[in-house]
Amino acid sequence: MSHFLDRLTFFQRVKQPFSGGHGITTNEDRRWEDGYRKRWQHDKIVRSTHGANCTGSCSWKIYVKGGIVTWETQQTDYPRTRPDLPNHEPRGCPRGASYSWYLYSANRVKYPLVRSALVKLYREARRTMTPVAAWASIVRDPKKRDAYTTKRGHGGFVRADWNEVNEIIAAANAHTIKDHGPDRVVGFSPIPAMSMVSYAAGARYLSLLGGVCLSFYDWYCDLPPSSPQTWGEQTDVAESADWYNSGFLILWGSNVPQTRTPDAHFYTEARYRGAKSAVICPDYSEASKFADIWLSVKQGTDSALAMAMGHVILKQFHVDRKVDYFTDYVKRYTDMPMLVKLVRQDGRLVPDRFVRSSDIAGDLGETNNAEWKTLAFDAQSGELVAPLGSVGFRWGEKGKWNLEAKRSDGTGVDLMLSLADRQHELADVAFPYFGNIEHDHFVSSDHASVLERRMPVAKLASKDGEILVASVYDLFLANYGVDRGFGGANVAKSFDEDVPYTPAWAEKITGVPRDQIIQVAHEFALNAEKTNGRSMVIIGAAMNHWYHCDMNYRGVINMLVMCGCVGQSGGGWAHYVGQEKLRPQAGWAPVAFALDWGRPSRQQNGTSFFYAHSDQWRYETLDPKDILSPTAPAGPWDGALIDYNVRAERMGWLPSAPQLEINPLSIAAKAAAAGLEPKDYVAQGLTSGELKMSCEDPDNPKNWPRNLFVWRSNLLGSSGKGHEYFLKHLLGTSHGVLGKNLGEQGLAKPKEVRWHEQGAEGKLDLLVTLDFRMSTTCVYSDIVLPAATWYEKDDLNTSDMHPFIHPLGAAVDPIWESRTDWEIYKGLAKAFSEVAPEVLGVETDVVLAPIMHDSAGEIAQALDVKEWKKGETPAVPGRTMPSVAVVQRDYPNTYERFTSLGPLMENLGNGIKGIAWETKHEVEHLRQLNGVVLEEGPTKGLAKLNTAIDAAEAVLMMAPETNGEVAVRAWNSLSKTTGLEHAHLALPKEDEKIRFRDIVAQPRKIISAPTWSGLESEHVCYNAGYTNVHEFIPWRTLTGRQQLYQDHLWMRAFGEGLCVYRPPIDTRTVKPVIDKHPNGEKQVVLNFITPHQKWGIHSTYTDNLLMLTLSRGGPIVWISEIDAKAAGIVDNDWIEAYNSNGALTARAVVSQRVKQGMCLMYHAQEKIVNAPGSETTGRRGGIHNSVTRVVPKPTHMIGGYAQQAYGFNYYGTIGTNRDEFVIVRKIKKLDWLERPYDPAKQKTRGPLTSAAE
Amino acid sequence: MMLIFKALSALLSYPGADLVASLDEIRVVVDEETCLPKGERDALLRLIDDLAAHELVELQERYVLLFDRTRSLSLHMFEHVHGESRDRGQAMVDLRALYESKGVIDDSRELPDFVPLFLEFLSIIDPSEAFGLIAEPAHVFAALAERLNKRGSVYEAIFRALGALARVRPDAKLLAALRAEPDPEPDDLEALDEAYEDAPVTFGGPGEACDPDALTARLRQARRPAPGIVQSSRPQTEFTHSDTKSS
Repeated sequence: MSHFLDRLTFFQRVKQPFSGGHGITTNEDRRWEDGYRKRWQHDKIVRSTHGANCTGSCSWKIYVKGGIVTWETQQTDYPRTRPDLPNHEPRGCPRGASYSWYLYSANRVKYPLVRSALVKLYREARRTMTPVAAWASIVRDPKKRDAYTTKRGHGGFVRADWNEVNEIIAAANAHTIKDHGPDRVVGFSPIPAMSMVSYAAGARYLSLLGGVCLSFYDWYCDLPPSSPQTWGEQTDVAESADWYNSGFLILWGSNVPQTRTPDAHFYTEARYRGAKSAVICPDYSEASKFADIWLSVKQGTDSALAMAMGHVILKQFHVDRKVDYFTDYVKRYTDMPMLVKLVRQDGRLVPDRFVRSSDIAGDLGETNNAEWKTLAFDAQSGELVAPLGSVGFRWGEKGKWNLEAKRSDGTGVDLMLSLADRQHELADVAFPYFGNIEHDHFVSSDHASVLERRMPVAKLASKDGEILVASVYDLFLANYGVDRGFGGANVAKSFDEDVPYTPAWAEKITGVPRDQIIQVAHEFALNAEKTNGRSMVIIGAAMNHWYHCDMNYRGVINMLVMCGCVGQSGGGWAHYVGQEKLRPQAGWAPVAFALDWGRPSRQQNGTSFFYAHSDQWRYETLDPKDILSPTAPAGPWDGALIDYNVRAERMGWLPSAPQLEINPLSIAAKAAAAGLEPKDYVAQGLTSGELKMSCEDPDNPKNWPRNLFVWRSNLLGSSGKGHEYFLKHLLGTSHGVLGKNLGEQGLAKPKEVRWHEQGAEGKLDLLVTLDFRMSTTCVYSDIVLPAATWYEKDDLNTSDMHPFIHPLGAAVDPIWESRTDWEIYKGLAKAFSEVAPEVLGVETDVVLAPIMHDSAGEIAQALDVKEWKKGETPAVPGRTMPSVAVVQRDYPNTYERFTSLGPLMENLGNGIKGIAWETKHEVEHLRQLNGVVLEEGPTKGLAKLNTAIDAAEAVLMMAPETNGEVAVRAWNSLSKTTGLEHAHLALPKEDEKIRFRDIVAQPRKIISAPTWSGLESEHVCYNAGYTNVHEFIPWRTLTGRQQLYQDHLWMRAFGEGLCVYRPPIDTRTVKPVIDKHPNGEKQVVLNFITPHQKWGIHSTYTDNLLMLTLSRGGPIVWISEIDAKAAGIVDNDWIEAYNSNGALTARAVVSQRVKQGMCLMYHAQEKIVNAPGSETTGRRGGIHNSVTRVVPKPTHMIGGYAQQAYGFNYYGTIGTNRDEFVIVRKIKKLDWLERPYDPAKQKTRGPLTSAAE
Repeated sequence: MMLIFKALSALLSYPGADLVASLDEIRVVVDEETCLPKGERDALLRLIDDLAAHELVELQERYVLLFDRTRSLSLHMFEHVHGESRDRGQAMVDLRALYESKGVIDDSRELPDFVPLFLEFLSIIDPSEAFGLIAEPAHVFAALAERLNKRGSVYEAIFRALGALARVRPDAKLLAALRAEPDPEPDDLEALDEAYEDAPVTFGGPGEACDPDALTARLRQARRPAPGIVQSSRPQTEFTHSDTKSS
């Protein structure tokens, strides 16, 4: 029998059990599996990212199910990198991965909110009045105005519908423009790169009105002025992938694993590849544990460390042994061969300004801009030459602005570095020394304030007779105290001598052992020598937050430059903070600043604005004499810091908004009546005193900013340095300022600014904030508009960390009543157009603008500082004072203008950074792509900018980075100036046009453009300065080279011609209050440091309970075990930190990680979550900024001087805050202040100032 | 149609002119509702009187402060059930599906777990089902009632009424968990302080977050169905950890 019929052909029996008894089959219910299936089911995946405040710029997959965002995961489809380079994936961190929770969080702003006291008044007034009249009736009546402005921060919101809030805001704007001027309507929003269209929406609305956009980068203090000073460029840095190409990586104050999470893997991979890494930071940070060597530097003394390292490198690689690569590099790419005049002053020789062609008989043959061409000696012929590339060659002539080693007539030059190589004499030259300034908490040395060092100098015949000159190279080496065998004092033969700036000297100041300094400096330079410059410093903005930040940064930059690292793959300076490269900037700027309708737009540097208008200047304790150089030339170095700012504004150095005491809409008519051009009318009026600049009297109601928009920002809860001063003066509500102003203390008052005994309180008529979460800023606003989250809108996103452009995408429609920023401002434009005709029509606006960097005007004030106000020079717009332009505003058609691309793009063209091109072809393409306006009216036939995607397409179409055709045109335009061919950098991509739908499909690599100094190619990673070094494009500085000597009068006056060590300043905020508010607990005085945290991006995510759970659940301050013991504090105690600026409350984290003498509070934790009341102020919490106040620096106000000319988010005063000290003590009695608001108990203001003058 | 649910939905919505105009109509419904004990009815009538007695802007200001601005009084049920966990998205999807299964689509810009929206849904379905559904979030309503009571708010009445309508005692464990959530009050400082403090983590120790029981609990939590989802009565696979099994 075969048992054929017993065998199954098609089935097999279920075996029970199987696998040798290890497996069984059951028939239990398997529906549980659906739980897992459901967990991962979704209807669609949408690409988006996190778009306001994070450099990461990671692309994410957003999962949507049933119209609800359920979760997100990281995208993994970045374009591949070239062979041998690790790829970018995965990018993302726990903060981003928790974002979807925000959408449905109870903290979401769901409806337009308005302060009930305000809306009651408005509704009442509207019963009988038109919108603008209704608004005017409220703000002109001090009692009515106070009824809501004093309630700021005290709740009392009601919901309103969009039509109503839009009408109120539009009416407020129209009234302000009519009564005070468009320059009193102000807006603040940061970091456009992270959501360009959202930024552009508000900026476009403001710019069409003639309102003012405030800069953020300087205000955040992430803007390093050292970068423009040295390179004429702001924060151009290597992408993170380039770390992998480095052989020696210093992380200096940067906490890469904690704060650059998605990029940290390149740091790991570089170390796997064999790169060595040194980490320099005071605390044992996340980064410190990855270091091969950790240098625990005393906080605030980084420049001493950098100077000592520079000393080691110069001695070992430039003096004892000359490295050819280094010598060639500094000769070609730095100002080291350039000649500096020496002048005799108080019996000493002091370095003065650069010698120019104009100093020499016959201008050395240079007929164009001779005052702006710097000189050097040719090593072969010994002749004095004006090498190509200095800024004088950039403007007014063609083909000579390049770094080829040539002079004007085309003959070659070989520039001489040291004058010791020619006929010379030796002379003692004086250098300032600040390391002997005593400070309660920092070590000082007892060296003299002026250090003379012997060096070679040469005689030169000038128009003014014989002068002495020195090369920057010789000055530079002498400044470092390196002995070169010339004899004399204050130089060191050995590293162990206690002479500034030896390692032995630095050991005392910084606390870092000298052998560690020598080792790191030596290895850093040795690696650069062997690899042609592949040594890199990743720098943390922490070092930029000190008052003398430029010294920290320039100390590091000097090290990189002397080792030939800048502009080389794997080398250079990497500062990844706060700006986030706005790659398609040239396409974006016209949309954002409405340059298609009017030029220029009003832009104002944030720091000076907030310093003046939150009245922090009224409490200034730093006297300019405190920081003046002992070698300062004679000059008017008295007055207060704000006086310097006013002088800078008058001379056209810094912007000035509000600009004049009169309404700018009234000027054109007055000029016409006087038979003058507006610019002549303004110049004459200022000279005669008939016109007054607003900056001279910021407390006068005529000069107050009236309306403030805040969007994509938590200005008050996160970035408002001097928080309590904001509350007191700008907002006029209850505050925690503890100190006294200059008048109350009987101190000297400013000279250029009018002092009012009673300072202004409550300058703003209206504060409007757009946000998706109820931030501290929203809590203080009059109107809160519900913004779409980053998963509810279409937008563009780029970063300096990687070379891709990718989108934010609307995964779901904005929920509740929220709207995208574009739709909100579009709606406002519509409401404004309807409301405005009540008081406004087509108006002529006269706009004052500062002298701008990268414009032909940047070479304005060549040799000296002369003030028209003091009669030293005539007032000439654009030369000795702000430029004056006339812009037509068509207020009733604001909406029509907002939603179409205006005619100026075709008529005037486009451009960036001094390179201009025509862009008719792109505008025509946009007409075809976006469609044209069909309705009759002033915009008929123009390309539409109706939706956020229309706006995004306009950006992408007009930018060289995303349109190859434009890139080639831009490079060709630059070629005309340099005389060199550059188009080969973009020709292979000429036909590439990146559109919005392309980046929705996949992130795209941008196209190389002259906007930036690095390349995107198959051969190199993006690295700043690359085209300067490899394409011979000059840096945009006075000398055209990396400029290590800063010769402007104010730079020399304040002792920063060359880099020196400067100890932190004394902010004088502890002594006035330390004994005034005893609570019986012991106190310690600690330096106050605010680094970035791990559990949030600034204040975002710090109200997300899940992220809070990962730390202590609320505000914390880290202190060392030693300090904690001294104050009787144990871990997790509630503590208070206070000084004369205000107070904050937090939990103490007691840790060995922290250095004695400092405390550390993460930036930024809000006062809306788990913050109890302060015993000292009686108010809630206080935030990290409650104990800070900004102190501006005169050198940051310089303008009209090549690279030191103003640019928005490029140069200007910065909000430094790390020199601050606080008193820390335990809280005796905890009070959560959960009582209802009692207006009777709130004494918010002094006597009422008239708001309605 | 259970008009009482619709009435409660209206009372708990953002007060507008239409609500104020309809208060008399609502009063009649409440007064005649036999499912509610007298105490609860009276409390609701006091709420209605209170709404009638104040200016609309004042009512709105109070509402925003209570329900829009105070996280612990959020009217989104899942804020209290799932907090900011990832379960929340799925739970909302499930709830929306339940609405659709009964032939209604939510037409507003609100989320499906918004209490007034949920109450309106209950008002249009079969009363027996409605009473079953209202019982599920009973612990949330009980906690909200307690928190409103602490603030002396007249809105407590709505949640007391919902508790009465649910006819079940709220799950004691779930309610206790909600009670432990922070809900800052001026007179309870120490309790607050404690709630804010986290227990120290002991790695590797028994009974802590990493042990097998906790893992099992988490897996259970991961597949916990949303309110309104009918659970299978058949036995399901039991999650056990190999170590606990062997011991």
